[in-house]
Amino acid sequence: MFDWSIITQNADLILKGLWITLYYTVVTTVLGLAMGLLVALAQLTRITAISWAGRLFVEFFRNVPLLVWLLWSYYALPIFLDINISKQLAGIMALSLYGAGYYAEILRAGIQTLDAGQTDAARALGMSTGQAMRRIILPQAFRRMIPPLAGQTIIQMKNTTLLSVLTVPDLLYQAGYIASFTYRPMEVYTAIGVVFLIILIPSNYLARKLETHNR
Amino acid sequence: MNTPDTSRENPLVSIRGLSKAYAAHTVLREIDLDVHEGEVVALLGSSGSGKTTLLRCVNLLEKPDRGRIEISGQAIFNQSAGGDDKAGIKQKQVNTLRSRVGMVFQHFNLFPHMTVLGNVMEGPRIVLKEDGAINRKRAMEYLEKVGMADFADRMPHRLSGGQKQRVSIARALNMRPEVMLFDEPTSALDPELVGEVLSTMITLAKEGMTMLVVTHELGFALEVADRVVFLDQGTIEAEGPPADVLLHPTNERVQSFVNRFHATAELMRPLLQD
Ligand SMILES: Nc1ncnc2c1ncn2[C@@H]1O[C@H](COP(=O)(O)OP(=O)(O)OP(=O)(O)O)[C@@H](O)[C@H]1O
Ligand SMILES: [Mg+2]
Repeated sequence: MFDWSIITQNADLILKGLWITLYYTVVTTVLGLAMGLLVALAQLTRITAISWAGRLFVEFFRNVPLLVWLLWSYYALPIFLDINISKQLAGIMALSLYGAGYYAEILRAGIQTLDAGQTDAARALGMSTGQAMRRIILPQAFRRMIPPLAGQTIIQMKNTTLLSVLTVPDLLYQAGYIASFTYRPMEVYTAIGVVFLIILIPSNYLARKLETHNR
Repeated sequence: MNTPDTSRENPLVSIRGLSKAYAAHTVLREIDLDVHEGEVVALLGSSGSGKTTLLRCVNLLEKPDRGRIEISGQAIFNQSAGGDDKAGIKQKQVNTLRSRVGMVFQHFNLFPHMTVLGNVMEGPRIVLKEDGAINRKRAMEYLEKVGMADFADRMPHRLSGGQKQRVSIARALNMRPEVMLFDEPTSALDPELVGEVLSTMITLAKEGMTMLVVTHELGFALEVADRVVFLDQGTIEAEGPPADVLLHPTNERVQSFVNRFHATAELMRPLLQD
């Protein structure tokens, strides 16, 4: 009934999809974190216009469905701006910005819930805002935020499957492709699911370990 | 305990007409206060009287609304009613000022991600960009002074409250401040740990450190301070030599305040015999 040879015969396509998935996960996580940190810091400034812009950014990405945002970025944005955007670029941009919205919230909360006494102590020694951030606030905030950041990154990886709607050849796209000429969707999609589980179950386990370790 | 500067001409800390409000709630009203070199001033008052706010205004952790603050003759805040900041003080100068004023907090506020030694070395390292070896040597001397040299490599969470507070005193001292501010340094401690922190402070006072101390330890105020300042609802209600203000209070608010604390003064006596 099951014909698993379909999988071994097309292992190269699946492997290629896996690399694409990992590539987009890493790139959009790094970019998302960097932009997220900027947005978090923007929200924490005393300059009202900047903190509002940060707030707006977060609200936007937390409330727009990712699939809508992704399709809009690829199909609508180029028309608005009258430019050409490759599907790769559109995908990276859309996923990074979307991730940034969530990372920003984690980072902001981590910085804000840090005891105000830590800032006081740093400032009382004569540290500038930047020095206090770099030496006292961020190291503590990051340490605490590792578990939620790891959790968000796992979600980020799962979200890359949506790239297949832009015909970016990630794992899910390859599955659809293989299924289309082998007529064995059952084996193919099962295999893809298993690949995700193999990667993400240990990752989740690790994230939980970090959480207890940091307590 | 030590002989305060008798010239009385150039106070180390000079506060004039200092006012501060949180929204509609006025916390400090037209405060005038001088602290002279080598002087220990105890700041007393009931909860909510504005002691912490006044102390935090001295190093501008809290921004006053009006008034003038000078440290060693240098204006670090100067704002008249409705007017602009006349001294034109830049953030950089504020940071420099803070590096010259040591502060000890009620809840220690040690940096939990650094060792004891790391905490003490952090200020000179980052703010004064000081050489590591010199910094380390002096940090160890200050840890020795507060009796914490053996704990240099510990992380703060493995210390008792009294030990934490002594480390935080060493951290402030390592900046070699001109004046030390203490905000209820023993209030968060178990009673049996209060003594070790107070005796560290007594040592500092004897060495001639200029200190402005918010405290509920009337014994400390009585025996160690050169002067007490009693704050009530944001104004200085009484001020003078500790014995005059605390033992023969003429002000009824001071009187009722003192009555609540008689027991503590008795507890302090054994600590002061040497
Ligand atoms: N950040 C703030 N925002 C609003 N009100 C504040 C703030 N900080 C202090 N207050 C108010 O200012 C008043 C004085 O506070 P402050 O902390 O200076 O008193 P305190 O004399 O140090 O009291 P305690 O002995 O309890 O420490 C209090 O009524 C307090 O509620
Ligand atoms: Mg207070």
